[in-house]
This record gives sequence, structure tokens and C-alpha cells, in this order.
Amino acid sequence: MGLGFGLKDSSYTKAALVVVAVVAALSCRAVEVPTPVVESREVRDDLGRTVKVPVKIERVISLAPSITEMIFAIGAGEKLVGVTTYCNYPSETAAIEKVGDTQTPNIEKIVALRPQIVFVSTASQLEAFMNTLAEQGISVYVTNPKTLDEVLGNLEELGDLFGRGGEISPMIISLAGRASGVRHQSNYDLDQVIPAKRKPRVFVQISKEPLFTIGRDSFLTEIVESAGGISTTSDIATAYPKVSKETALALNPDVILLSDSEDNSGPSDVFENSPAVKNNRVFKINADIISRPGPRLVDALEEIARDLRPTN
Amino acid sequence: MLAAALLVAISFGSERLSFFDLSNSERAILFDIRMPRVFLGACVGASLAAAGAALQALLRNPLAEPYLLGVSNGAALGTMIAFVFFEQFVFARPLFAFAGAGLATFTVYQMARSRAGMNVERLVLSGVIVTTFLSSIIVLLTSLLDAARLRGFTFWLLGDLSQATMFGFYLTLVSAILGTIVLTSQARSLNLMMIGERDAMDFGVEVARVRMIVFGIASLLVGTAVAASGSVGYVGLIVPHLVRLAIGSDNRLVVPLSTISGAIFVVLADTIARTVIAPRELPVGAITALIGAPMFIYLLRRN
Repeated sequence: MGLGFGLKDSSYTKAALVVVAVVAALSCRAVEVPTPVVESREVRDDLGRTVKVPVKIERVISLAPSITEMIFAIGAGEKLVGVTTYCNYPSETAAIEKVGDTQTPNIEKIVALRPQIVFVSTASQLEAFMNTLAEQGISVYVTNPKTLDEVLGNLEELGDLFGRGGEISPMIISLAGRASGVRHQSNYDLDQVIPAKRKPRVFVQISKEPLFTIGRDSFLTEIVESAGGISTTSDIATAYPKVSKETALALNPDVILLSDSEDNSGPSDVFENSPAVKNNRVFKINADIISRPGPRLVDALEEIARDLRPTN
Repeated sequence: MLAAALLVAISFGSERLSFFDLSNSERAILFDIRMPRVFLGACVGASLAAAGAALQALLRNPLAEPYLLGVSNGAALGTMIAFVFFEQFVFARPLFAFAGAGLATFTVYQMARSRAGMNVERLVLSGVIVTTFLSSIIVLLTSLLDAARLRGFTFWLLGDLSQATMFGFYLTLVSAILGTIVLTSQARSLNLMMIGERDAMDFGVEVARVRMIVFGIASLLVGTAVAASGSVGYVGLIVPHLVRLAIGSDNRLVVPLSTISGAIFVVLADTIARTVIAPRELPVGAITALIGAPMFIYLLRRN
């Protein structure tokens, strides 16, 4: 506070000044410029909540890299005024204000950026947090796709939300077409369903030490199956379980997919004698792409399908 | 009993093995994965229990425990610093863990000591303060590491035997055996010091020397154990206590028997951790804390 103008005489003066300043600061709120009336409508998000959104959306914040990618994919990237520190794709995200990471967003910064909608990927991003935003008149939209089809559905919903439904339908058709092409090619052989015993058994290694993999609830289980493989860990509960090394060794996979990162650059030692390592069928996949249920999942699907294709 | 515990631990795991007709992969599971882990668990349990027993005798306090005194956290911080800055040297981790454990022990001891001697509350409080202080530095370090590396550490900090290496096993084995021998050799002095340091001096015990040896060896035991498996809590509390209940408080017996019982305890706790939600796993520290924390409350109330 700017008390630097020679008021050294008494502490009462200082106290009085502080009071005046505080009162002034508080009363500022009351005389705030009234926000212009924005035309709004009601939509439903992935949790089935009714969300009030402006008809014309100008300022939004994304709290998940997958959502950021989707918003860019539908051509609404310039509406993003805030993203997380994890949002690194496309390259335009570098120029957008960062509002913390997905788990610990900075609420003050979010409010200061005056967004109309904040997009979050799960409700786990704290109820209290959502209430605070609601009090500030900021809508919270939850989008939480769990399959590739849901990602495409989400792109459609977002397109509609941003009033770009018409422009983006060719893109969605193209993505859907690529996905169904891969599914068909990888799972059917001359229009015969490929029997399970001829499909490669896949282990997806998320991290080497400790050994994390994908489980029943991960969207990657579906991706592996669409790509023509069988996930060896599809019956383990939760999305990203830490799996016992004994079990991993017994799984004996034909193919190992590594989520590519510095400390996950090779398969765990327990796979030493697995067909995957013996036949040199260990593949790295960009960790960002396979950890985000976004539009690039189709790229991942195509890449994994190529990796799984029989070598002979 | 230790043999029986080891046998039980080796028999059970997330995979069911047909022991009389082992296939190649079953042999690999048994010899390359399960047995190293079980033996490392035994060494870690032995180290922590021996350190706990000796610290309790030295500080004349049944609540002195490596985990609660912040010694384990000191070792954990040391290990992390070694991991961040000297990743390529295998010896850096146990060495830094030893140094961290030693520093934490020394700090807690200096804080807890007063002219009137050392009382329970002061010791436990000093331990809490050092533990939380070290935890905050650990949190700071983990936020500097990237997300993939961090995941490993959060498991490891809770005490996780799944990252067992042969190097860690040999090191903890050697230090557990040597440590127990040295601590047992000081047991007679510790017995006398339990009556009172002044009385012990009258009997010709070099109190300061005994104290240095016990602190040093306890730090070594905790350091090597933590470097190999993270902070497995409460082992040094539960085990010596049960041993004393069974055979009295003669340290010549309490220290070596704690070593053996500590091994049994951690091996069995880890068997639970490995099997209860198989094929997923829990960190063993979660199991030991689940048993240990209520026991701590019980001991605190009885004191």
C-alpha cells in the first residue's frame, strides 16, 4: 500500500489510512461495471449436467491437454485464453496463458482471465473449485470420453457448442472413416473375422519401474483391440494398474507397446524371454498421443495397427 | 520360524506355480522375481527391526522408531538426492541414504535432549518436526522431477519391494548381518544404560562411544534398507515390542531376536501386499503401517 508520503507522526493515522484503503477496496466491488447481458442457452455435458453457455462463445479455458487438442481440431483454438502446463499440442498452445496443471489449477488466474466456459476432463477436478467458478458466473463443462467413438462424439458436441457444426463435419467423417478402415482391416481377413488365437497378445507398458500397464477402464484397451490385438491386461480392474512382475512375466506377450518416455525406453526385464522381445516386436508410441483421449487417437490407432500387423 | 515364513512367502504370489513341475517361465517367476523380492524383504525387515530395538534401548524409549524419528525420511531424501544428481553411480544411493539417516538421527537427538534428560513427548515431537520438514523437501524434489519419474517415487516412498535389485539385496544382507553383530556386541552396555547413563558410567561403560556406535549402525541399517525399498514404516516399533513381550528386555536377546522377527514380519506383510489384490500390488509400507499405527497409539496410551 502506498503509505510512503511522510506520515510518521502517529500509528493512528496509519491505522486510519489502512481502514480507508480497505473500505475503498471493498466498495470497488459494488460499483463494478455491470456485465453486458449475453444471450445464452442450455446444453448437457458428459456427466448429464445442464450447463448454461453463451450462444456466441469468445473466451474459454481448457484444463486438459486432450480438450485443448479437440478445441484446436474443431478450429476454435483462438477462443482459448488459458490452458494447462501439460498442453503442448498444437504448437500454438505455447503462446496461451498457463493456468496450472490438470490436478492443481490456479483458480485466481482462471477467474482473472474472465472465461465464459472452463472445460474439465473429469469431475474429480474438485467440487469446491467448480462451485467457486459458478459463483463467478463461469460455466464448467465436463467432457470425459472413454472410447474413440466418444472422442468423435465429443468433437461433434464441441463443434456445435462453438457454432462450427457445419465446418467440422467433413473432418469428423474423415476421422471416423479412418478409424473404421483400421478396425475392418485389422479384425477381418477377406471378410472373415480373425479368430482370437491368431491375434497378437499385447502388453502396453506405461512405466517400467514400477511396472504400470493399462487395465479394463483405459481407452487404450479398446484401441489395442480395434487395432487387431488382444490386450493381455484387459481384465485387470482400474485404468492404469501397477501390475505384479510375476503376472507380467506369465503374460508372455507377442507385442510390447512402450509409452515413450525417458525412463520407459525399454521393456521390463521380466519380458526377457517373451516372444515380443525375442522376435523384436517392441514398439514405442508417443506418450502424449496415447495418454490423451483426443483427435490424435486415430493416429495412434493407425500406428498401433501397423505395429501389430503380422510380420510374415 | 523364519524358514517357515520364507517358505510361505515363496509359495504364494500373484501367479500360482506348480512347484513340482516348473515350466521355464514359472522358473523365471520363482527365481528371478519372487525369491529376490522375498529375500530383500527379509533383509529390510531385519535391518529396520534391529535399528529400532537398539534405538529404543539407547534412548530408553519404546516409541523410538526409525520411521517415526525421521531417520527413514532422512534416508529417503538422501536416496532421492542421489537419484536426481548422481543417477549413474549405484553406490551413491545407499551412501547418501546413510548420510541422510545419520544427519536426521543426530538432529532429532540434539533437539530432543535437554538438561533434564530426554522425555517421550520431546523425542516424538522432534521426530515429527524433522519428518515433516524432510517431507516438504521431498515434495519439493518430486515436483521438480517429471511426471513419469514421480509416479515411481510416490510408490517407493511408501515402501515398495517390487523394485528389488540384486545389488540392493546383497548390500542390505551384508549390512543387516554386520549391523546385528555390532549392535548385539553393545547389548550389555545398552542393558546398563537402560538403568541410567550415570549408573552405566559407574560400571565402566563408555556411554558416548556406545551412543556413537548405535547411532552410526542404526543409520547404516536404515540407510541401506531405505535405499533398497523406500520407507517401510513401523517395523522397528512393532517387532522389538513383541519380542520384549515374549522374552523380556535383555538386549543381548532382544536385538538378535528382533532381527529375525523383523525379517519374518516384513516377509509376511509383503506376501499380503503381493497377493491381496493380485494381479495388482500394494506397497508393503501400506500393510506395515496398517498394523503399526494402531499399535503406536496403544503404546503411547500405555506409557
